[in-house]
Amino acid sequence: MIKNKQTKLERHYATLGMMLIAPTVLVFCAVIVYPLVSAIYLSLFDIYTPTLQGEWVGLDNYRELLGKGEFWASLRTNLIWTVGTLSLQILFGIGMALVLHQNIWFRSLARSLILFPYFISTVVAVLVWRWLFNDLYGILNHLMMAAGLIDMPVDYLGSMPNAMISVILVGAWKYFPFVVIAVLARLQTIPDSLYEAARIDGAGPVARFFDITLPQLRDVLVVIIMLRAIWDFKEFDLIFLLTGGGPVTSTQTLPLLVYKEAFSLNNMGMAAAYAVAMMAVMLVFMILYIRKTGEKDA
Amino acid sequence: MADVVFKNVHKKFGDFIAVEGLDLSIEEGEFVSLLGPSGCGKTTTLRMLAGLEFPSSGEISIGDRVVNDLPPGKRDIAMVFQSYALYPHMSVEKNIAYPLKKRGVPRSEQGPMIARVAEMLQLTPLLSRKPRQLSGGQQQRVALGRALVRDPKVFLLDEPLSNLDAKLRGIMRAELVELHQRLGRTMVYVTHDQLEAMTMSDRIAVMYDKKLQQFAPPQEVYREPANRFVAGFIGMPSMNLIDGDLSQEGDRWMFRSGSISVPVGPLVADARGGEACLGVRPENLLLGEGPTPAVVQLVERTGHENIVVVEIEGGLRMTGRVPASTDWKTGETIQMSIQSEAAHVFAAGPTGRRLNIASVAVRP
Ligand SMILES: Nc1ncnc2c1ncn2[C@@H]1O[C@H](COP(=O)(O)OP(=O)(O)O)[C@@H](O)[C@H]1O
Ligand SMILES: [Mg+2]
Repeated sequence: MIKNKQTKLERHYATLGMMLIAPTVLVFCAVIVYPLVSAIYLSLFDIYTPTLQGEWVGLDNYRELLGKGEFWASLRTNLIWTVGTLSLQILFGIGMALVLHQNIWFRSLARSLILFPYFISTVVAVLVWRWLFNDLYGILNHLMMAAGLIDMPVDYLGSMPNAMISVILVGAWKYFPFVVIAVLARLQTIPDSLYEAARIDGAGPVARFFDITLPQLRDVLVVIIMLRAIWDFKEFDLIFLLTGGGPVTSTQTLPLLVYKEAFSLNNMGMAAAYAVAMMAVMLVFMILYIRKTGEKDA
Repeated sequence: MADVVFKNVHKKFGDFIAVEGLDLSIEEGEFVSLLGPSGCGKTTTLRMLAGLEFPSSGEISIGDRVVNDLPPGKRDIAMVFQSYALYPHMSVEKNIAYPLKKRGVPRSEQGPMIARVAEMLQLTPLLSRKPRQLSGGQQQRVALGRALVRDPKVFLLDEPLSNLDAKLRGIMRAELVELHQRLGRTMVYVTHDQLEAMTMSDRIAVMYDKKLQQFAPPQEVYREPANRFVAGFIGMPSMNLIDGDLSQEGDRWMFRSGSISVPVGPLVADARGGEACLGVRPENLLLGEGPTPAVVQLVERTGHENIVVVEIEGGLRMTGRVPASTDWKTGETIQMSIQSEAAHVFAAGPTGRRLNIASVAVRP
C-alpha cells in the first residue's frame, strides 16, 4: 500500500522533472544541435554559396581538405596564434591582478580602467591599432625612430613574423582584462591566514606566490584557459580586420579560411567541412585538457 | 630568565587603539594564557609577538633579542591559527614539512622529524591525505604538527580549540598540557574561555579594554582578583558584585547596600570610604541559614550541585551554589547570609582595584 503510494509520488516527480527541463532541452536543440547537424549536413554537399544549390558529394570535401596544404597551414597558424596570445593574456592577466590586489591608492580606478580594452568594440580597437602600427605615419614607428631604436620604419602588419607578433599582441591586449578580473576575484577569497602561516614558516614573497597563490588560482586558471582557448581559437574579427589573413596567408587562421571558402570562393560545402574539422580539433584539445587537469586533482 | 617581554607596547589601527601600555614578562618554558572577552586585544598582542603586526610603540623581545624589526620567519616562533590555516593543496605530510623545507633542512633529515611529530600526534596514518579530507580535530593536530616539527623557541596559539566540539576540546586540552610538559617550551595561548585558561596555564594574563588587568597563576587570579573586572570575569557562575557604600566605623570597615550590612577587611592602607563594590563568590553565599530572607528565583541543576539565584529585599539578585540534595522551589523564601571573611572589596568603577588585603579564606 505504502509502497504503491511512493512509486506514484516518484512517478509524479519524474514527470514534473521532465517538464521542468523540457524548455532547456528544446532551446539547446534549437541553438546548438540544429546548427551543428546542419553544418555537418552541408559539409557533405558541393554548394555554390550565392544560390545555395548543390549536389551530394559525401565525404569528398573532407578528403580534399585533409589533402590540402592550406588546411594544415591554417591549423598551424591557428595554434601559434592561440598559444601565443593566450600565454600572454594569462601572464599579463595574473601580473596585473597581483598588482591590483595590492593596497595601492588608485586601485579602484585602475580596476575599472583595466576593463577598457575588453569593453571597446573590436572594430574600433583594430582601427586604433592599425593607426598606431601604420608604417608611414604610425606613432609607434615615429616614437621608436625618435628614440633611436630603429633607423627605418618597421612594417608591423605587412611582413612576417611582424604581422603574427602584432596580431598576438593586440589579441593579448584586448582580452587580458578578462583574466585580470577572474583572477582578481579569486585572489580576494584566499584567506590571509594562509599567507601569514607561510610567513611564519619562513616563506618569502616568491615562495608565497608559488606555494600559496598559484595553487589557489589553479582551479580558476583551468576555467579561464579553457574558455579563452576556445574563444581565441575561433577568433575572427580581430585578425580579419587587422591583417585580413596576410601577408598572403601567413596570419590566415581557420576561421578566416572558412570565411574565404564560403564567401570569396563561394564553396559553402567546403567551408562547412572546414568548420566541422575545426570543431573536431577543438574537441580533441579540450578532451585532452580536461583529462589532464582532472588527473592532477585526484 | 624572561623569554618573552613586552615593554610598554601600544598598538593603534589608525586612530583606534587596540592594545595600550602592555607590560608582560613571560618566563622560559612557561604556559601563559591571554584571557579576556572578545575584542580586548588578545589576538593583536599575539600577532605582534608573531611579527604579523608591528607595535606602534614599545618594545618586544624574544630570548635576548629585540624583535620589533624582525619578520615572522626570523623570530624562531611557530603559530597555530584559529582557522588552522593548513595549505589546502598540500598533503598532511607536505604541510608539516613546509617549515622545514623553507628553512633549508636537508630532505634526508626532514623524514625522521616528520615521522616523530606524526607519531606524537597520531597522524601517521593520515600523512598522505589532504586537509579537506580530515575532521576538525585531525586538522587541528596537523596545525599543531606543523608548529611542533621545527622545535621553535616560542609557540603561539590563537584560540586553537574554539572550532572543536566540547568533548574534543576537553581531550585536546589535556593533550596540549601534556605536550607542553614534554617539550618544556614557552607557549602563549590566546583564549576567551576561562576554563581553558584556568586548566592549562602556569600564569594567566587577563586582558580587558585594551589593557592587561592581572598577570598571575590561575589560583591567584581566582582567589585574589586584582580588580572588579577580573573578579567578575573569572569563575563560573560569576562572582556576585554588589554596589554599595564603604565606611569606617571605629577600627572596622563596614559595607552596606540596602538590607545588606557586612564587616569587611582588612583593607589596604589608602582605602577610603564611599562608593565601593562587594564581591562574593557563589560558594561564599550561605543559603539556607542566616539572618537575611531571600526568595528563590531560579534553580539550575548541573547534576553534582545546584546553582540557585535568589532575590533579597530591594530587588538585589545573587547566585549561590548548594549541594544537589537541596530541593528548593522557585518562589520559596529561604534564609541566607554572606560569608564576610571570604568577601572581596573593590573600588568603584568597572575596573576598580581590590581593596582588601588578606588572601581570602575558602569555605570550610
Ligand atoms: N587590522 C585591524 N584593523 C583595524 N582594527 C583592528 C584590526 N585588527 C584588530 N582590530 C581591532 O582591534 C580590537 C582588538 O582585536 P583583537 O586583538 O582581534 O581582539 P581579540 O582577539 O581579543 O578578540 C578589536 O576591536 C578589533 O576590531
Ligand atoms: Mg581573537
